[in-house]
Amino acid sequence: MGKDPNDTDAAKRRTLEREIEEAKEFDPEDPLFGLTVEELSGPRLSRRAVLRLMAAAGALSALRFAPGLGDVAYAQGTAGGHLKAGWAGTGEIQTLDPAQINQVLEFQIASNVLSGLTHINPKLVAEGDLAETWTVTPDGLHYTFKLRQGVTFHNGDPFTADDVLYTFNRSKNPDLSIQSSVLAGVDNVVKVDDHTVRFDLKAPQASFLVKVLERSSGRAMAIVNKRAIEEMGASAYGLMPVGTGPFKVTAHQLGQGVELEKFADYYDPSRPKLDKVTITPIVEPEPLAAAIEAGDIQIIGGNPPAAELIDRFVANPDLVVSQIPGPGFQSLWLNPWKDPMRVPDFDKPFSELVKEKGFMVRLAIAKAFDRADLIKRALFGRGVPAFGSINPAMGYFYDDAIDGTSEQRFDVAAAQKLLADAGFPGGKGFPTMKLTITPAGRREGQIIADILKRNLGITVELDAKDFPVLIEEFDANNYDMLRVGSGGDYDPDDGLVDWMLTTSKFNGPKRDKATEAFGYFSDKEVDSLTAQERVEPDLAKRKALVQQANKITSDKVASAFLYHPLDILVYRKEIVYPAESRIPGLVDLDRVSFA
Amino acid sequence: MTSYLLKRVLGAIVVMWAVATLVFFMLRAVPGDPLQAMLFDIGDPHAADVLRHKYGLDRPVYVQYALWMWNVAHGDLGASIYGSRVPVTQIIAEAFPRTMALALFAFVIAMAIAVPAGIVSAVRKNTPLDHGFTFLAFLGLSMPDFWLGIVLIIVFAVKLHWLPAIGFAPLSQGFGPWVEHLILPATAIGTAFSAILARMIRSSMLEVMKADFITVARSKGLVETRVVLKHAFRNALIPVITVVGIAFALLMAGAVVVENVFAIKGLGRVLIQGILNRDYPVVQGAILVVSAIFVFMNLVVDVLYTFIDPRIRLR
Repeated sequence: MGKDPNDTDAAKRRTLEREIEEAKEFDPEDPLFGLTVEELSGPRLSRRAVLRLMAAAGALSALRFAPGLGDVAYAQGTAGGHLKAGWAGTGEIQTLDPAQINQVLEFQIASNVLSGLTHINPKLVAEGDLAETWTVTPDGLHYTFKLRQGVTFHNGDPFTADDVLYTFNRSKNPDLSIQSSVLAGVDNVVKVDDHTVRFDLKAPQASFLVKVLERSSGRAMAIVNKRAIEEMGASAYGLMPVGTGPFKVTAHQLGQGVELEKFADYYDPSRPKLDKVTITPIVEPEPLAAAIEAGDIQIIGGNPPAAELIDRFVANPDLVVSQIPGPGFQSLWLNPWKDPMRVPDFDKPFSELVKEKGFMVRLAIAKAFDRADLIKRALFGRGVPAFGSINPAMGYFYDDAIDGTSEQRFDVAAAQKLLADAGFPGGKGFPTMKLTITPAGRREGQIIADILKRNLGITVELDAKDFPVLIEEFDANNYDMLRVGSGGDYDPDDGLVDWMLTTSKFNGPKRDKATEAFGYFSDKEVDSLTAQERVEPDLAKRKALVQQANKITSDKVASAFLYHPLDILVYRKEIVYPAESRIPGLVDLDRVSFA
Repeated sequence: MTSYLLKRVLGAIVVMWAVATLVFFMLRAVPGDPLQAMLFDIGDPHAADVLRHKYGLDRPVYVQYALWMWNVAHGDLGASIYGSRVPVTQIIAEAFPRTMALALFAFVIAMAIAVPAGIVSAVRKNTPLDHGFTFLAFLGLSMPDFWLGIVLIIVFAVKLHWLPAIGFAPLSQGFGPWVEHLILPATAIGTAFSAILARMIRSSMLEVMKADFITVARSKGLVETRVVLKHAFRNALIPVITVVGIAFALLMAGAVVVENVFAIKGLGRVLIQGILNRDYPVVQGAILVVSAIFVFMNLVVDVLYTFIDPRIRLR
């Protein structure tokens, strides 16, 4: 009689939970986070060390949804074959130069062509990629890397310490790279010898191996080839970068696609299994669906496929649909400087704020949304209701109870009463609001307008703007209501620091500062709690601070939070892409093979 | 003829300059900052300013214009603002053959359908055959090309697996793949085009068939096929050629919807994506090329008149 797989899963989960709890137990003052120098050294960190580093970096939460902590199944299919991939929702792969990449769909490809000193494996362990081993000093400030020897670039050049220095100097130069801020914590990089480099940090950084050196998320330090850049020029290099990765780019016609071929001299002879990969950008959802159904493409990368296609894919026996929580949130932003939603000062207790008519209107709008209904209608059920910027992919920091405790929780009667108390019973006398959306967001905008009309009697007109215009209006506070959100948020700071501080980069940076003290939200308590959580090494304390700040942004309606999207990968059954190999946001083709 | 051509070419340069200038200033008057949008997620507040300065976008507009015109005069259309700053000439040079192939293929399909349908409709006026062709023409006109494209993909790629659903194969990959990839998109475009042409040919033929010289030709005892094809059809072509010329130029720049459906990056898509991204150099360069195509096609049409009707002389 076979073992019940549920028992195995439960046992694994218990083990994982115990390990996570243990990982959080360390002295916050210790620059090595309670680990020994040996444990922090490479080529491969132990499971305990990785969990501890992630705990210290606040990234442990990602483990909840990350694959790989159970049994890992690597690609087991046959070697060879030509994989045809469709990259969804884009007309072209604008660049593969890590110094210029600003979209996930670009570094998904570049990560297959360029190597870093480290790369996350399916267990989320930062393994040596071009670094063979490394040591760290007891103060946590100096990392010395022994580089892999015998590695060559696609053009035959040998990889040495000079390439690390060249990449560092190029990436930290804002004239040459848009990633310079990623290297802000690195004081200096020193060549010790041809195959040894030392990174001197300004302060201990628990996430250094992953956030700075990892080849995809850290893209600032994905190793580039000096000779190729000089000979080809930056533009041509951006289309066909020369790296040391498992695939080399053999053709790239802007808008028509990218061709990759197995790099025969890749340092790991067991990878990649595929001989060739063709990547075609496909803008429209219906042709994308037809292409994978016809077998013209076998996997969908790039942006998530349109929500309306997913049920169709699930029903297709030829396709596999892998769905996991995505790291982001989507909001309806309500301009606090426009009547009748005007709230020029959020720095009051909730009990006082809720007596103000402008705030009553904001809260009424936020409470009028049945998120589950919205997700069902707009996303065909593929999303998680949102009540804050901290998303479920952040696991540990995510507040499971917020859907029951937030003042934004759905209550149509209470919402109608608030609106009536604000002087607009049944929406009577309420001015017509404009909802700024992108053309692609029109369908969702119509559903939002319908919900507000049905539940509050408010009339909302859609105002479709191209993305550059929408962003300009958002930055300048020139809107009534506006739909935009965030993605790639793995750490609480991605939600709180980037979005919820008075000084957040998105908080009306181009507004008229003489008349508007902030963009969409400002609260001293949130500012203070966020400042504390950023430097709080104690995980439990940090979690409390994060959740407290998140709850305030929710209660005080920094925005009407709507949903957290799912991360969805679709491929044909003849492809072997073990679910355990999958890292949200990445498509590592060296782990893909044909059945 | 030579002086006529010279005059037309000089006129064309003036038209292209006027269009390019208009587009240059209109683009900058349209709201939407490309760098702000491009770097929205990067989070480095100074990154946009650094790039704006580097690309010269912080200079006065008239300075940008003067620099651009100077560069254009030297054959440099600039580089895309996005990604790796690929030169606009390269983007257009890659897209142009795809668009040209698509337009030519669609044109051939359209003519193959429209010429016989138009002639037969005119010769067999008000017969069931004419009504049948008229019905098919309206059907062709009524079907949006993107919808027809999707239907063709579902039938011929998804269900029958006869043809590829998406993409473009350059001739360098062989004639077979090139044709295979063009059949569906060219049919999607060519169908509506053929419907317009068939109606044009029919009405033009009907006009000509009433003319005295047709009566004379028949009275001379010429066989009806010769009357129709040699005398009537040739004379009916003059107005048709005008429409064909403009429609072909529109096809070159305006097949964007079908290009999107079939994931083919042609000129239309370059232009639309450039506009959506506010990628000034790309839009300016693409508009310049598109205006050149229109001017050239008009010139070709004018020259063709002289071959079809020797009474027309160009001065």
